Amino acid sequence: MILRLKDPRTLPFHLALGVIVLSGAFFLILQSVAYQWNVAEVWGYREKLFKGWGVTLLISIASLLLSTLVGFLTALSRRSSFVPLRAGAILYTELTRSTPLLVQILILYYGVANAVGLQHRMTAGIVILSLFAGAYIAEIFRAGIEGIPKTQLESAQSLGFSPWQTYRHVIVPQATRQILPPLTGQFVSMIKDSSLLSIIGLQEFTLAAREVNSYTFSTLESYLPLAVGYLLLTLPLSMLTHSLERRLRDEA
Amino acid sequence: MTFLSRFLFALICLIWAACSQAPEGPAPLVVGMELAYPPFEMTDQEGNPTGVSVDLASAIAESLGRPLEIRNMSFDGLIPALKTGSIDLIISSMTANEERAKSIDFSDPYVNTELSLLTGKASGVTSVTDLNDPSRTVVVKLGTTGHLYAKAHLPRTTLRVLEKENACVIEVVQGKADAFIFDQMSIYQHGKRHPDTTKALIDSFQREFWAIGIQKGNEDLKTQVNLSLAAFREAGGFEQLGERYLGEVQAAFRELDVPFVFDIPDTGE
Repeated sequence: MILRLKDPRTLPFHLALGVIVLSGAFFLILQSVAYQWNVAEVWGYREKLFKGWGVTLLISIASLLLSTLVGFLTALSRRSSFVPLRAGAILYTELTRSTPLLVQILILYYGVANAVGLQHRMTAGIVILSLFAGAYIAEIFRAGIEGIPKTQLESAQSLGFSPWQTYRHVIVPQATRQILPPLTGQFVSMIKDSSLLSIIGLQEFTLAAREVNSYTFSTLESYLPLAVGYLLLTLPLSMLTHSLERRLRDEA
Repeated sequence: MTFLSRFLFALICLIWAACSQAPEGPAPLVVGMELAYPPFEMTDQEGNPTGVSVDLASAIAESLGRPLEIRNMSFDGLIPALKTGSIDLIISSMTANEERAKSIDFSDPYVNTELSLLTGKASGVTSVTDLNDPSRTVVVKLGTTGHLYAKAHLPRTTLRVLEKENACVIEVVQGKADAFIFDQMSIYQHGKRHPDTTKALIDSFQREFWAIGIQKGNEDLKTQVNLSLAAFREAGGFEQLGERYLGEVQAAFRELDVPFVFDIPDTGE
């Protein structure tokens, strides 16, 4: 377990204590803000919020797959012996990681996507987000690959492994275990970053909540469901990778 | 366990201290605005707040004898900030309408403007009634009166809500949307900047008044603000603001025989 308790049986106690303290503190903060609650009006817009959550879910799943693919190809390109490919991969990762996502979204959507005739907002959003996250994922993959001691690669070579066999049987199994924690973090950030796509009018979860807020002026009532909605997306992802990590550790 | 509980205890103490801190010295007049609406709310080349609303805010702060603090925040965050008391006034070209008046109070109006349309040249839109059709796409800025108007009066249109005014304009310029609903003055200027792709229809379809937002029930502050607004108008302050920031537009509006924004008609309230 992540908490590494001396006695695992006390876990429920510790968890309960943590939840009580945090929610107590949160409650005190809310109390100190003079705020009139108006949940009923926000409830009237629940369909809008659900729809927005669905859009964010769709963007997240698609971007998760596409960005992994982009990251993997980029990491391989950076190790390629073909120089233009390597240079292109380096340029892409550095440019992407050194500029704000907001700027990339605006330039890529109103500039590039418009020029190439990509009119579908959702597709454009998914591609832009995947290109952004792909650059980070490429670096995570590269770190995983380069973390494998050189002697192992040399041994594989001397055993007559082809490059593909080396990747398949030596690099990937070991690297996967190393990159799971940073990769999870990256995926979680990506889900949260998807909210920035509202800038190009993609009707996703955050924009839905902001719209409800602008109709009802009920900020906390609109934004608390927002926090819960994102947790519903990110927590299962974290839990899934934790269990994967455990399985891989047991295998090793 | 002991480490965890000590850490949590420290955390609670910290939160407690943060919540109970009392302000010291003379309270500044905190005015919230979104500095993204030139020439009313903007920043100069050094990044300092400037514009009609900033000058108006400093005149009001001066007459109240309080130091001025401008707080820049997004437009849809202004009312929540006022409701929770983190700002004293909203001076951000905000239209005083019924929906907003449910959650905040407004001063006397200081600007009179109208909603207008920026249409795509190829769209063939000639009036706002053309837009109430599912084949038409209308862009609006989140939380503005244009947004609320479209929601209430154009139920059949395809409505797209964006956060930034310039994104709305690009959508029309690139033909992704048929029209942008916004205030007359901005629409006029956008139409002038993009004459090849857009057409500004500044015939109004809804009159609006801008006023200063005040926390609900704060009658003292409301009276003070109204008094200083009246004194500012009396002293010719608005005419100076018009000349300083809106000279060209003011001249253009006079030529088109459209009443200028600081001319408040006498409605008898």
